[in-house]
Amino acid sequence: MSQDHDRIVSLQLTAQMSFLQIATHCVETAAKAFGLGKEESLKLSLATEEIFSYLGSHVCRGGILDIRCINRLSYVRVEFRFSVSTLNMGALNIAASVDCENEDDMAEMGLAIASRTINRLNIVAERQNCICLAIENDKHYPPAPKTYVVPIDVTGALMVETPDTEGVKQYVTRVAQGSPDPIRPIFFNYPGQVADMVAAGNCQVVTAVDAKGELAGGVLFRFLTTRIVEMFGPHVFQQDREGEIAGLLLDACIARTVRSKAIGLVSLTGMPSSVQSQFELLGLMNHYRHDGKTIAGQAFYRLLHEDPGCLVFTDTSLKDYLQREYSRLFLAREIREVRDQGEMKAGASIFATEVHREGSVAILRPLWPGVDYDANVKKHLLFLEEEVINSIFFNLDLGVSWHASLMAVLLANHFRPVLIIPFAGQADLLIFQYDRTEP
Amino acid sequence: MIEPNLDLLVPAYVREFEPYIPSKPDQELQKLYGCDHLYRLNNNENPLGPPPGAQEVIRRFPPPRGAVYPSGDSYYLRQEIAACHGIDPDQVLVGNGANEVIAFVIKAFCSQGDNIITADKTFAVYEWVAVFSGIEARVIPLKEERFDDEAMLEGIDAATKVIFLCNPNNPTGTYWSRDTLRAFLEEVGGKQIVVIDEAYYEFVEADDFPDGISLINDYPNLIVFRTFSKMYGIAGLRIGYLVGDLKVVDMIRRTCIVYSVNGIAQEAALACLRDETGHIRRTRELVREGKAFLCAEMAVMGLPVIVGEGNYLIVKLTGSDTLAYRKLMHEGIMIRPMTGFRYPNHIRVTMARMEAMEAFVAALKNILA
Ligand SMILES: Cc1ncc(COP(=O)(O)O)c(C=O)c1O
Repeated sequence: MSQDHDRIVSLQLTAQMSFLQIATHCVETAAKAFGLGKEESLKLSLATEEIFSYLGSHVCRGGILDIRCINRLSYVRVEFRFSVSTLNMGALNIAASVDCENEDDMAEMGLAIASRTINRLNIVAERQNCICLAIENDKHYPPAPKTYVVPIDVTGALMVETPDTEGVKQYVTRVAQGSPDPIRPIFFNYPGQVADMVAAGNCQVVTAVDAKGELAGGVLFRFLTTRIVEMFGPHVFQQDREGEIAGLLLDACIARTVRSKAIGLVSLTGMPSSVQSQFELLGLMNHYRHDGKTIAGQAFYRLLHEDPGCLVFTDTSLKDYLQREYSRLFLAREIREVRDQGEMKAGASIFATEVHREGSVAILRPLWPGVDYDANVKKHLLFLEEEVINSIFFNLDLGVSWHASLMAVLLANHFRPVLIIPFAGQADLLIFQYDRTEP
Repeated sequence: MIEPNLDLLVPAYVREFEPYIPSKPDQELQKLYGCDHLYRLNNNENPLGPPPGAQEVIRRFPPPRGAVYPSGDSYYLRQEIAACHGIDPDQVLVGNGANEVIAFVIKAFCSQGDNIITADKTFAVYEWVAVFSGIEARVIPLKEERFDDEAMLEGIDAATKVIFLCNPNNPTGTYWSRDTLRAFLEEVGGKQIVVIDEAYYEFVEADDFPDGISLINDYPNLIVFRTFSKMYGIAGLRIGYLVGDLKVVDMIRRTCIVYSVNGIAQEAALACLRDETGHIRRTRELVREGKAFLCAEMAVMGLPVIVGEGNYLIVKLTGSDTLAYRKLMHEGIMIRPMTGFRYPNHIRVTMARMEAMEAFVAALKNILA
């Protein structure tokens, strides 16, 4: 997708406290220049302060730090790139400062604090020991007007088109004014935000219109990973033609993704029943609402190409589960069991924690192996409960052999495997969800 | 060790291109899907194999010749092809499959900023080669499963260099008649190169189907592709060719890779053209029987088909084609899911011997039950 609107400000400096203000000023100024409001810019700058001090004291003191501020139109992203020695790896866990023995006295530390002031925080290992820590803050947009829209009357043949900015906003407004849907992503409340997301190339929208230009429906889709496209909708605004409109939009979404890098299409937020037969049900994910209620959302999937098959790793605890799921989904997988055979393991593990404040969701991924899986999982759970994060997911890449050693640990800590997303990583992703109903 | 900076070294249009992942060898697939046999109904191969003369060439190829370079420009084969069509051998360029000559043409005519025009639901390689070469591919939707001549003409602009037609079309089997093609070429008026991919020419039985090569005299902007992979059953040897006007081919020759076509392929292809045992007739009979059988069976099952010329047909399923592919693989049947051709929920099936056709129908009934 297009990078045309990306604006980048970059800065390279040494991670030492005397440079702190250079970093925070740079981020704040860039954020403002990129259109973020005063308050959001300040929050990014505060998060930068925490991260910079933390990296400078605990992670890569005196080392080179690359900071990049990127304008993604609907949000600003700040990336911190640095090298880290294995000795200091453990400090990159967001829950590094949590002390399991002493729950009351949770020392407040860098990454945790930083994660609170912004919308998203994430961390990825780009190469050996080279880490990219990213924070993102969204721009503020006015919500879609609440005014009631007259029911549309779509007549005659329909066409699909790639809407212009006004068309995108009209589509999002219609979705927002439709029946309330607790699983629908929050950006559907903000037409201007989606318009910017489209302009920045972060997602695409296709709409169906009749000859008079009357809007019959739309679909939004974006790359969830480099190989998986996530689809939202199709949304249909004329119920008596639902099957036709949803089918048209789905075909258009497929036509626009099938000759890209995508290997599959997922839908995690619901779709009209008329197109469900074109998908396979992967499983159910629980969505915890702020009022404490849970809603089970169906996750659907569709491969876009022949399944080339692959090798996946498991430990004994989930071998049967995987066998069952793969045979239910007719996926060709060679399932290889990994066992602890006493080989040396060392060091502190790292989990990347992607925190989405607005949806109260955290997604954990193993970033680095270690000997302390159980303790590290417990620490993260403690931390996320403290932060009142409702939905906690843990994603394992079944193509990475060492991830399999986390399976038993996750099960013992009340995580349950909920679904497999084929090829969403090196091989398939196995998604665990923390089951809060367990003691 | 310093890693190369691939972001700087590799052009964006290459970095962003998703490489095509061909299916694994049959043995690996059988292991993965746990089936003890595999009917290959996915690649439009000829189940009868090459004509007997070509089989003999393959069997008799002297091993020491493996050390010797083949003719770098398929000298004798070009003479034979030229004789078949009454043209000059220099109007012929042979490639390592028709796929390779697609690349020759795009390299010869297109540079950055240019575009090619083709259809959305057709053989994908024209689009791929253009895209990973940094050339825009304009894909015009089919109209009633056929190449839409008017929309293609409307899609032309000053930067359009090549128009790729697939006649008959893979996968729909639809075709342009002699009149439609001539009218289109008149409209183009020599301003662009028009390529007609006739990979399935030898299967066509319709009377009004045009022989593209015979039109090159009248339309020197016309290039025709043929292949030995389909009717002649030597897909494994990789050989195909293009024919065009002398001056046009002289340009394309500059971008072609000499010595890319191996010696056995050249000799086997010669033997294919000299076949007098009725290979084409036998294959056409097999295709006719296969289509009649499948059309009847699909009608009973209530599944619509799209069928025309060529050794394949399309079946429309009620659910996902990529799921059907996996289920059929478990039954030892390999078909082509059509999502990649922008026909979601459709599968393409190659006509094969009756045993394979019956196995396909049985497996399909099984998975839809
Ligand atoms: C329309 C069309 N053109 C070209 C080819 C490629 O042929 P070759 O095997 O000669 O590269 C195929 C093969 O599937 C085809 O269907």
